[in-house]
Amino acid sequence: MITLKDKNILVTGASSGIGRQIAIMASELGATVTIVGRNMERLGETISLLTGTGHKMYSIDLSVSSDIDQLITESLPYDGVVFNAGIVEYLPVKFLNDNKISSVFVTNFDSNVILSQKLIKKKLLNKKGSLVFVSSISSKLGVPGTAMYAASKAALSSFSKVLASELASQGIRSNSVCPGIIRTAMTEQASDVVSQEELKKAESEYPLGYGEPSDVGGLIMYLLSDMSKWMTGSDLIIDGGFTLK
Amino acid sequence: MEINIFLQNFADILDDTDAILIKQETVFRDLEEWDSLTALSLIAMADEEYSVKLTGDDIKSSTSLNDIFEIIKNKA
Ligand SMILES: NC(=O)c1ccc[n+]([C@@H]2O[C@H](COP(=O)([O-])OP(=O)(O)OC[C@H]3O[C@@H](n4cnc5c(N)ncnc54)[C@H](OP(=O)(O)O)[C@@H]3O)[C@@H](O)[C@H]2O)c1
Repeated sequence: MITLKDKNILVTGASSGIGRQIAIMASELGATVTIVGRNMERLGETISLLTGTGHKMYSIDLSVSSDIDQLITESLPYDGVVFNAGIVEYLPVKFLNDNKISSVFVTNFDSNVILSQKLIKKKLLNKKGSLVFVSSISSKLGVPGTAMYAASKAALSSFSKVLASELASQGIRSNSVCPGIIRTAMTEQASDVVSQEELKKAESEYPLGYGEPSDVGGLIMYLLSDMSKWMTGSDLIIDGGFTLK
Repeated sequence: MEINIFLQNFADILDDTDAILIKQETVFRDLEEWDSLTALSLIAMADEEYSVKLTGDDIKSSTSLNDIFEIIKNKA
């Protein structure tokens, strides 16, 4: 059985969607969870949904380095970290500019690199710890309008692999997961640029339909647990069969 | 807000369509070049030129370029 008993787990982007579900599931499996996001109210809602006691929340902006420092200073060593915070922006390459490039990269890539680097340097990762980076199936596709999102996620997947080799001697593992479309606030945002009808039609491309946050959550529970102790440096697709097509 | 400038802006996001075809009454969906990327470009252009957030459903509910222009005008 998968258990996270006695594990201290950090989840970023836990005020919504996939991150919230990860925090809930980890607490149900016995972990003490620290959750991070910007929106205090939605973080509070997540906290109220957790099982057990001792959980903590931080309303911080991960794209601000001093905010990360605050989290680091107040952290106890973690057994698992889920780097899940992320944003999406739909923009054709023709319309990119410096600001658009950096806003996506700073949140989806830079902040995760900086957070993991500080956790390592301050010795805040326990031996046998597990790092999980939430990348995206977009990193392997060429969906028009997703250039910066896809590139930032591909960068994240690559980063996780290098980290896996650098941390292997300490017994710390690092893996990334690449979900296909999951129904969350982020996919609601897609309905800003495509009509509801098109979004429905796109779902027929998924042999098992769109996913639920708990579908990704299940894989991540496995990666956080000791059951996956021999898995590191993997970049795992979980997409309801989308890439079979 | 000027319809002619809007039509010019729209013509600018296209690469293979003769600007002569871009008129108020043009049924943009029937243009050979129209696809999901053109739709995204239209949304990005509305944002850049008019600071208006055009949505997928706005486009879906429109037929002519004039319909799009009216939506942008109402949201501006
Ligand atoms: N949904 C999908 O179809 C899908 C598919 C593949 C991959 N993913 C990835 O899965 C992850 C979670 O996505 P989701 O669908 O659950 O999206 P979501 O509901 O929009 O949640 C995103 C989370 O990230 C947090 N966040 C964003 N920027 C932040 C910042 N600067 N500092 C701190 N927190 C920040 C948000 O917190 P606040 O709102 O409180 O700021 C929120 O909790 C993302 O990395 C996304 O790219 C999603």
